[in-house]
This record gives sequence, structure tokens and C-alpha cells, in this order.
Amino acid sequence: MSGLTPTHPAHGSARMRRARRLLAAALTASAAIAVGLGAAGGSAATAASSTLTVADVAPFTGPDAALGPTYLVSCDAATNAIDKAGGVLGHMLNCKSVDTRGDPADAVPAVRQMYASGAPAFVIGCTSDEAASVVPIFAANKTVSFCMTGQSEFDHVKFPYFFRLVPPDLSESYAMIVIAQQLHYKRIALAFGNDIGSQAFIQPAIQAIKKAGDTLTSNQTLDLSATTFRTEADAIVMSKPQVILTEALGATDAAFLSEVKQLNGGKSIPVIGTSATISPDWFKSVSSSIGASTVASSFWADNLVTESSGTAFDAFKTAIYAEKGKVGQTGDFSTYLTAPGAVHLYDGINLAALAMVESKSTSGSAFAADILKIGDGVPGATVVNTFAQGVAALKAGKQIRFEGPGGPTSFDAYHDSAGLFQVDRYTSNGTVKVTGNISTSAMRALGL
Amino acid sequence: MSLFIASIGFGLITAAVLALAAVGFTLQFAVANVLNLAYGGVMIVSAYAAYVVNEQGVSVWVAALAAIAAGAVISLILNGLVYRPFQRRGTSSAAMVIVALGMTLILVFGTQALAGPTNVSFSMSQGATLQAGSFQLTVAQVAIIVLSLVTMIVVHVVMRYTRLGKAMRATAANRDLARNCGIRTDRVVTLTWLGTGALCGMAGAVFGMDAGTFGATSTDLFLVLILAAVFLGGPGQPYGAMLGALVIGLATEISAAFIVPDYKYVVAFVILLGMLAVRPTGLLGARA
Amino acid sequence: MVYYITTLLVYGGVDAIACLGLSQQFGIAGVTNFGFIIFQAAGAYAAAVLSLPPDSANGGFQSYIGGLQLPFPLPWIGAAIVGGLLAVPFASIVGKRLRGDFAAVGLLVTAVMFNLLVTNYQPFLNGAAGLSLVPSPLQGSINPLSEGYQWGYAAVAVLLALLTYLFVAHITKSPYGRTLRAMRDNDVVADSLGKNLRSLRTSSLVVGGAIAGLSGGILVGFINLWDPQAWGYAETIVLFAAVIIGGLGNHRGAVLGAILVPLAFEEATRYIPPVPGDPGLIPALQWVVIGLLIVVFLWVRPQGILPERRRVILGAAGGPATAALAAPGASIVDDAALLPAISASAAPLPVRLRAGPYGGAAILECVGLGRSFDGVRAVQDASMSFARARLTGIIGPNGAGKSTLLAMLAGTLRPTEGRISYRGEDITSLPAYRRARTGLVRTFQLASEFKRLTVMENLITAIPGQRGESFRGALLGRRYWGAQERDAVDRAREMLERFGLLELGDRYAGELSGGQRRLVEIMRSLMAEPEVLLLDEPMAGVHPRLAHQIGEQLVSLTHAGLTVIMVEHELSIMDAFCDPVIVMAEGRVLAEGTMSVLRANAEVVEAYLVG
Repeated sequence: MSGLTPTHPAHGSARMRRARRLLAAALTASAAIAVGLGAAGGSAATAASSTLTVADVAPFTGPDAALGPTYLVSCDAATNAIDKAGGVLGHMLNCKSVDTRGDPADAVPAVRQMYASGAPAFVIGCTSDEAASVVPIFAANKTVSFCMTGQSEFDHVKFPYFFRLVPPDLSESYAMIVIAQQLHYKRIALAFGNDIGSQAFIQPAIQAIKKAGDTLTSNQTLDLSATTFRTEADAIVMSKPQVILTEALGATDAAFLSEVKQLNGGKSIPVIGTSATISPDWFKSVSSSIGASTVASSFWADNLVTESSGTAFDAFKTAIYAEKGKVGQTGDFSTYLTAPGAVHLYDGINLAALAMVESKSTSGSAFAADILKIGDGVPGATVVNTFAQGVAALKAGKQIRFEGPGGPTSFDAYHDSAGLFQVDRYTSNGTVKVTGNISTSAMRALGL
Repeated sequence: MSLFIASIGFGLITAAVLALAAVGFTLQFAVANVLNLAYGGVMIVSAYAAYVVNEQGVSVWVAALAAIAAGAVISLILNGLVYRPFQRRGTSSAAMVIVALGMTLILVFGTQALAGPTNVSFSMSQGATLQAGSFQLTVAQVAIIVLSLVTMIVVHVVMRYTRLGKAMRATAANRDLARNCGIRTDRVVTLTWLGTGALCGMAGAVFGMDAGTFGATSTDLFLVLILAAVFLGGPGQPYGAMLGALVIGLATEISAAFIVPDYKYVVAFVILLGMLAVRPTGLLGARA
Repeated sequence: MVYYITTLLVYGGVDAIACLGLSQQFGIAGVTNFGFIIFQAAGAYAAAVLSLPPDSANGGFQSYIGGLQLPFPLPWIGAAIVGGLLAVPFASIVGKRLRGDFAAVGLLVTAVMFNLLVTNYQPFLNGAAGLSLVPSPLQGSINPLSEGYQWGYAAVAVLLALLTYLFVAHITKSPYGRTLRAMRDNDVVADSLGKNLRSLRTSSLVVGGAIAGLSGGILVGFINLWDPQAWGYAETIVLFAAVIIGGLGNHRGAVLGAILVPLAFEEATRYIPPVPGDPGLIPALQWVVIGLLIVVFLWVRPQGILPERRRVILGAAGGPATAALAAPGASIVDDAALLPAISASAAPLPVRLRAGPYGGAAILECVGLGRSFDGVRAVQDASMSFARARLTGIIGPNGAGKSTLLAMLAGTLRPTEGRISYRGEDITSLPAYRRARTGLVRTFQLASEFKRLTVMENLITAIPGQRGESFRGALLGRRYWGAQERDAVDRAREMLERFGLLELGDRYAGELSGGQRRLVEIMRSLMAEPEVLLLDEPMAGVHPRLAHQIGEQLVSLTHAGLTVIMVEHELSIMDAFCDPVIVMAEGRVLAEGTMSVLRANAEVVEAYLVG
């Protein structure tokens, strides 16, 4: 590498050379000290505090950088409401962000560092980007976690402290086909992004299409690092589908759908999205590229059934809206009212909090079982819709079942609660409205 | 069949954007002898500059002027503050690549730090869709192609008929000889960075218009396409860059029509690597 | 807390191993391998598919090749092997005569392309989702999440890092390592001294690749998961930053860089509390800082924190270290004051010559030799015959094609037409390094010393047939090549003494003045045991008195059997030493004969006046 290094003699008295070595040693030492201090600071914190930490373990940077902050909104909302009602066993709850950078190799040290500075009471977030590498660590530390991943791995593998309130990608695909059936569309095209989260939908969708007797007109994978998709869009348009199923986050759906519209003579083709498309971020990008009225008129999404009225919903709405303005750049706030990342994590936090109260312990090994009890409810349990109601009922010695804005839960052997599906649509100002339901029998008829 | 023809149309748009970028890039290499891998970074910063102006209600076509200015200024600073000092020192060419990558990190993530991770889009109307057989292009897209063609002609005229153009070609061919002939090569280099920086800025604005939505890291993959176009045509050859842009633009879109679209960029990569392996001087370059 | 420390130790070990592999490839051999991360990724994937059960297990939610469920340590060995094997096709990319930056770009693009291919082709390695539930080593017998296991893993990672360091230090210390550094400093010259660049690059890429593969295997066994997100080209940039900041060409520097950059820097940013309302700010700034560090370090301290150590061979035996070093731009007059004359001993220079049985008169011949550049014919229809044991001169005005001719004879440049034969055999298509090994050695017109090798190292490198220069020789260690090395050191010292430059033996060759460097080059060419010596303007920048002494020595060497062909400008040198002399002009041979004959030749005179 000639030219990279000056060839003058080391400006060097022996003293300068020694100084340089000291510098090197000092740098290494200070790095070690920084680690030590951080650790010491952390453990001091756990010893003294009476605040329980809820960790939001998700990407805050990288391609999925929008996810972490989204979950943080519902975390803050839920914990603030719980704190207002007196906290858990005398402790206040506090949310903390742990950035996994969307990459399992970065997620592991992030989580380990989290533990080093004080184990959280429980964890929320963990997306498909990193769940597979961090869930085993949570399991080893007996930390309860509510994860946002639909990966099929978690449909079949048992992790004792893992809980999932979002549907597996598998069943979402079936739900989307049922929506297509309800709309009487038989010619279906698929356009999914090439990342972990989105690819999992394709195979189940293809199978469901076959079972339903529908036609798969085109299957295009969208490269998330590209910025134009004209040929893919044209391929889809030319195959004359009646509806397009999609999930391709970031700027991709926005660019793709606007190209579809343009190539289809200015008319949008109806679109069915996965539950991940119900988010303020998605609505903002897509509506600015194809127009909010277009989104309102030709877009459906499957989503787990969430309440849209009633005590649970009202409490949830109040809590979420109290966070308005506190977190930046997240688009229309009202979308949070049905966004899976908001609803299900809010439920998860409440379930965990109530479980702690019921088991009178903040340690995961003690209260994990109570989550199942409170979620599924034992016969004769009183239904409660807020944390405050639950605490009151427990004090009165009753058994409780929590039904939050996400509706009733029903955990299977793998701690997945699939729940029922509903059909969501956007209005032109970005609020989400429920327009229909998807029955379990309809999904079973497709081979689920 | 009609998808094939339509994909030719799409390929032309991609080629138009790519040509603007590739010509600037290759001229920088020709005159300054540096593979400016920070080019994509400068493009995206310029695109954001246009966005900021566009947000104030200015039409995106006028806002593109802000992008051009931004591109020119940043490129001048990049050369004056970073590339030229390193080159004066005799830094090897591979080390210059590392420096360029470092500058890319600064530009791209500096933008992300300021603008945030969410994507932005220009407020612009695409205009009506024009149809000719299986070709389908919007007015805006046609405007982009026309703009690109006009710019190519301007570059051609400058390179061939103006004194600056001749001085650039002389400096590119043999800098020492050019200096000995009385050409003020330092000024030529500076003016080249100014001009190609403006091209880069324009490319950034057009890229943003074409993509619809973009973020700080959107040009990462695009840079590889630029490299493919440049090396295909011959590094340092502006006409080669135009030819390369056309081929790469068409190849990626047509292969998306025929092969599974997952691999459409792989085609560009394979072309680039193939050229490096077989004929590093490119199609229009001289044989080594 | 314990788990965080063990995580840091494992990651530190893995990063150190990866950086050592890169240091070997980039810092020592000078290969700018921007595709480096692929080797680590390949190793991780290999270890994963070797240790995973068949892909139908665990509910069959993944699809991948392999699934052999091999026990530890086989997956790690497999990882290293795959990393090494993958390097072989890479070596062919790097081996082409590509400019450094072109090759770098090609490798970068290759890394991006592989990432795209693996992401999009799902049946191969499960696409974007990657491979999860990868078993940890020995997880059947010990619980991988127990403290004991974690400490054990950390210990193994650190131990392997140490072993890797010892290994690369061992091979870098050998003549093989020195040859790599010579190739790094100036590959064209190394080629002309008989070094097989292709095999050197391949072996260094394979070693680096195997080391990187091992690091991937260790990492995947720890985090139990591997997907394309973990090896974008950003990771390669971080590793390059680490090696540059830590110290190029210094393996300890590579380890330091690994601790500072991927480990300390990336971990330290976790401690900075996120800016409320903008959680992405700190991580974005982290990348900006890495970019700044790269550029600032390359400017302010390109040699890194721990620069490459100078190999001192002579030490005290080199005489008092009081010889003043000339400033690089010293004039010829200063030169003369500094350089003692070549010791005027009656004995000839200690040059070992090739004992060739070739009895023919013309040891080197070319017929109809020609070379065009872009249509300009630099050399046309040149036919010459060089007599054995003579000092033939080649003169001509500027642009006559003399250097081009010499380059073609040496093999540095390919002729576009014509034939060359050496000792009666056609060598027209023989590569330069092969020609050097048979005794056809050249020097260069412009500065061509190995700047970051010492003067002694420059001389020793030229000696042909050193057993320590092969990779195998490097592995076998000092016991294998030690004796030969001592002999080489003695020869080099003797040569330095005779040229009066012994005090400069342990200096970097790049620090010497112009004239001193010229002498080093001549000495180096003599160390190469030449049979035919092709000198390209060897007296340029040398004091006339000294030039004369060198000329005398060359003549005496021809008496001992050496053939010398010298391109020169100075007619006085031609007069004094060369017989015959060939005149070239405009790419053609104009005339041949002694200087007096040529002076009388009208054509020759005109060529000099006009050309």
C-alpha cells in the first residue's frame, strides 16, 4: 500500500514513542473502565430503585427504525396509566428503549448490556429482525416477553416466558384470502418485500389461494433496497388481478403502489395489506404517494379484532392520546388506536402488570403463569377492562380476566394467542375503521 | 410481449436518471483520477435540499435548482478539503476509495441524523399518462428523459467545442503534459468538480422525482448501478457512461420482466464484474 | 452482568480474529479486500448448516442446504475451510492487472451481490430470515446459558484469538511475510524480482479467508442465529476502520483496533442515553463518527496507533548509527559528501552469478519486437542480439522506446509483435517473475525500492530460491529457513559494506536520498544472482564520480561472466564502459557499434539533434 504511510522516520525521540504506547494502553483501559462504570452504575440503580423497567427491545435504527419508537408510544401510554392507578405493588413502571439495530448480531450484546445495567421487569417489542436470537436469552433469564413477531418458528417451539399476541404470519395470509373472498375477488396478485417479516406470507397465501379455488395471477418480490418497481408493477397490472396482497415496508409500498396506479391508467387496483400496514407510518407514506382518498377507497387490511368502543377502548384511547406530541415523526396519531404494535403491546403490559399484582411478585418465574390465567380467564372470573379495575377486583379477592382493546385472548400451548380477525380500512384522514369480521370457520375452510 | 416493450420504456427512465449520474461520475474520474464513491451521498443530500425547497411550496422543477447548487457546492468542498489534499500526498488509489467510503458515511448518516429515518417525498404531480402501444410513461417521466437528453447534448457540446472541454480532455489524458502546454490544470480540476457536482445535484433531484419516496440511504444501491454503467462504458469516457447507462437501465428492467425480479440488480452486478474481469477499460475505452 | 462481560469477551475475540485476518490480507499483503465480510459470513453459514439438524426439524420452518448435525469442533473446522476455499475465486479477481481502486470496487460489489443472492434465493440459506436455532457447541452436554458455559466460551474465543495472533505473527516473521510486504509496497518490482504474485495473493487471501471463516463460526455458535442483515458492506467498513486505526501492518495494532472500534466504540454508544423524541439520532451520529475517524486517521496518522514495526536486522553490527540521512530532495553534490566511495578494494563485488552452461555467443535475442500503445508504436521491428559477458549500452533520444524495449525484454510489458529468446529458448510469453528466476533481472527507471522494508530487507528479498518464501516454508518456521536466512543476511551485509552504506542497513529504504536509493536498487539487482542484468538508467541522479565507480564494477563483473544491458543517457558512460552500443530512435534500431563508430554515423547524429 505505498503512499498510505509517510516514510519519514518516526518523529521520534524515545519519549514520544513511549507516549504513544501509553496512549494506546490508555485508550484500551478507558474502554474497559467505561464498561465497568456502566455496569456499576447499572447495578447500583437496580439495588436502590423502586421503579420497574419495561424494556422496548426493538430496532430504533436501521431499515426498520420506525418500529422501536412506535412501540415506545404504547409502552409509555400503558405504563403512565398504570402509574396513575397506583403502580404495581408500590412500584412505578418506566419504559426504556433497547436498540437492537435490526440485526441479531447487534441484538445480543444490546440485550446483554440491558441485563448488566439492571434486569427489566419484562420486555416488549422483539420483532422478526431479532426475536430468534434474543428470546432464548429472555428465557434463560426468566424474563417475560411480549413479542411482535409472526415468525413460524414461534408457532412450533416452546419458550416458557414468551408470549405473543400478534397473529402468526401463516394465519394472516389466510385471513387476507378470506377478505378477498368476501369482496368476491378471484384473481389475486402477490407483492411482498424481500425481508424476513414479509417473505413469510407468500407460501401460505399461495396454498390458501389454491384451496379457495382462486387464481394467482402474479407473484412479485420487491427488493426493499430498490427505489423503483415499474417492471414488477407492470407485470402485476398486465396479469389483470382484481386485488393485490402486499406487505413491503419503508418506502417500498408507497413507490410500488403509485407505480401500479400510474400503469393501470391512473386507477388504483384494490389492495389488501397485512396487519403491519395498519400503522401511522405506512399510511403517511402511501397516502402521500397515491393520495389519501385512494387509500380510503381501495385498501383493506386484515387485523386482529380490536375493540372500537367500550370501557377498554376508552381507557386505551385516553392513555394513547395522552402521549400525543411527546414522540416525534410518527404520522397520524389516531392510527395507533388499531395498530397492532400499539394495541397488543398495551394489552401485554397490562396483563403482565396484573399478573404481578396477582402473584404478588415482580419476578418472571412467579408471575408468568398468572399471565395465562388472567388472559384466558378461569371459569367464573370477573372481566376487567383496565388495570385499575383489575387491581380493585383482585383486592376484593376475585379471579379476573383481562380484556383490553385487543379483545379477549386465548393462549395456545406455545403462548400464542391468535384471536379473531377483522377487516380494517382507512378513512381519508388516516383514522382506521373496522368494516367486517373474518370467522375462524372461513379460515379453516381454506386449510388453516 | 407487451411487458417486454413496457419494460423498455421503464428502462429508458432508469437509463435517463442513471446517465445524468454516470456522466458526472466518470468525468470526475477522468479529470481528477478519483473514484468518487461519495457520489451517491452527494446525490441524496442534494435531493433533500430540493425537498426542503419543495416543502415551501415551490414546484419541484424549480426546487431542482437548489439540488444543483447543493451538489456543486458540496462537491467542490469534497475535492478541496478532502480529495485533493490526500492526492497531493501521494495516497494510493485503493486508499482513496477508503477515504471516499468514509465521506459517504459522513454524508449519508449526517443527513439521516438531521432528517430522521422516515422517508420523504416530493409534492409533485406526475401529469397524465401517455401511451404509445405498450409504452406507458407519465408526463413527468418524459420530462425527465428529455432533461437527461438535453443535458447529455450540453455535455457533448462543452466537451467538444469549448475551451474548457478541451482543457478537461487534455488534463484527463495526461495531466503533466497538459500543464506543460500551459493549461492551468488546477483550475480545470476545480471547474470540473463544479460542473460534475452540478450534474450530481441534478441527478439527485431527478432520482428523488423518479423514486417518489426516498430516505437517506436510498442511493446506496443506486451507486452500484452507477459503477456498473461507468465501468461498462469505460471509466473516464463520458460517451461510454451514456452508453453504459442505457445498457444497464434497459438490462435491469428487461431482466425484471423475464427473470424473477428478485435478481434484477444482480444482472447489473454481473455485468460490472464481468467487465472488470475481461475488459477493465470498458467498451469505449482503449485497450490497455 | 457476568453475561455482558462474557458477551464482550466473545465479541472481542471474534472481532480480533477477523481483524487479524484482514490485517494479514490488507496490512501485510496489501490486498484491499472490500469483500472481506463475505468470508466471515460464509464461515458462519458453514458452521450453522454443519451443526443444524436437517431442515425438516423444529417444525420445518426453515429451508437450507446441509443440516448434517455434526458435533463440535467439526462445524468450526468446516467454517475455516469454507472461508479459505471461497478465497480462491476471489484471488482470481484480485490477480488481474487491475488498478487498486478498480479491484477494491469489484470486491465491494461482489459483497453486495452475494448478500442480495443469499437474501433472495430462499432454499439455499433460508433467505432473508436466515438460519436460527443454530446449536451451540456441546449444548447437549452443558447448558449453554449457564455461567460456566459462558465463561468457557469466552475463554475459548480469547484463546483462539491468541492462537490466531501467534499464527499470523509467525508467518509474517518469515521470508514469506517479507515477500508479502514487498508485494504490498511495489508489486511490479516484486514481480520483476521473481516473486509469483498470483500465488502470493492467493495464499494470503486463503489464509485471511480461513481466519475470517473461523471468526464467523465462533460468532454463530454464540448467538445461535445468522442472517443477511449481519453482514452488509457496512460491517466491512467497520473492520477496515479498525485495522487502519489500530495500525496497518502491525498485528497487535489489528487487535487493538478490534477492541477499540467494533467493540468499545459500538458498545460505548449504547451508554449514551437516547435523545428524547429522536431515538435514531445517536446511532446515526455513530456512523458519522466512524466515517470521520477513518478520514481523520488516514490524514493525521495513516500508520495507525501502533505502526508497523521496523525489522532491525543488523543492530549494532551495522556500525554506529551516526550516518546522517539526507533530506529526500538532497542534491547530487550533497550526495557525494555523504556517500563514502565504493570501497576501492581490488577484489570484485560479492555477487553470486548464475553458473550457466550456455556457451552460445548471443545469450539474449529479440527478433522483430514491437509494442503499440493506443495506436502509437513505441517500438517497431526491433531485432537485437546481445553478446554474453559484455556490457551493451542502449542510447537514444527521448521517446526512442528504450525503456519500453527493456520492459519487454524483462517481461514487465507484453510485446504486440515479435519474439524474444533467452539462452536459445523462446521466452516471449514467459511471465516476468519466471524470467527473473532464470537469471534475467532488471532495474527500473523511477524509484522502485520497497519503501517500508529496510535496506537490508530490500537486498535480502532479491535473493532467489529462498525456502522460507513459500507458505509451507513459513509454516515450518525458523528451523526450516533459518540457516539460509543467516547466509542471506551475511551476503547482504557484505554487499552493503562494499557499497559503503552499511550504516543505513536498518533504515527504511524510503527514507534514503535519491542517489542512495539508486544504489540500493543496483545492489538489489546484483543480489538477485543475475545472468543477464537489464539496467534502466541506473546512473540517473548519481554523482558522476560514483557513477564511474559503479561502471568499473560492472565491467569487472562482465569479466566474471555477467551480461549487462544498460539503457543510459550519459554519453560519457557509454564511452567509458559500453561495447557495443545500440542506438534507437523513434522506436527503431538505428545503428550498432562502438561509440566512436556511432559518432561518425550521420544518421545517428541527426537523430540526436532532431529527436
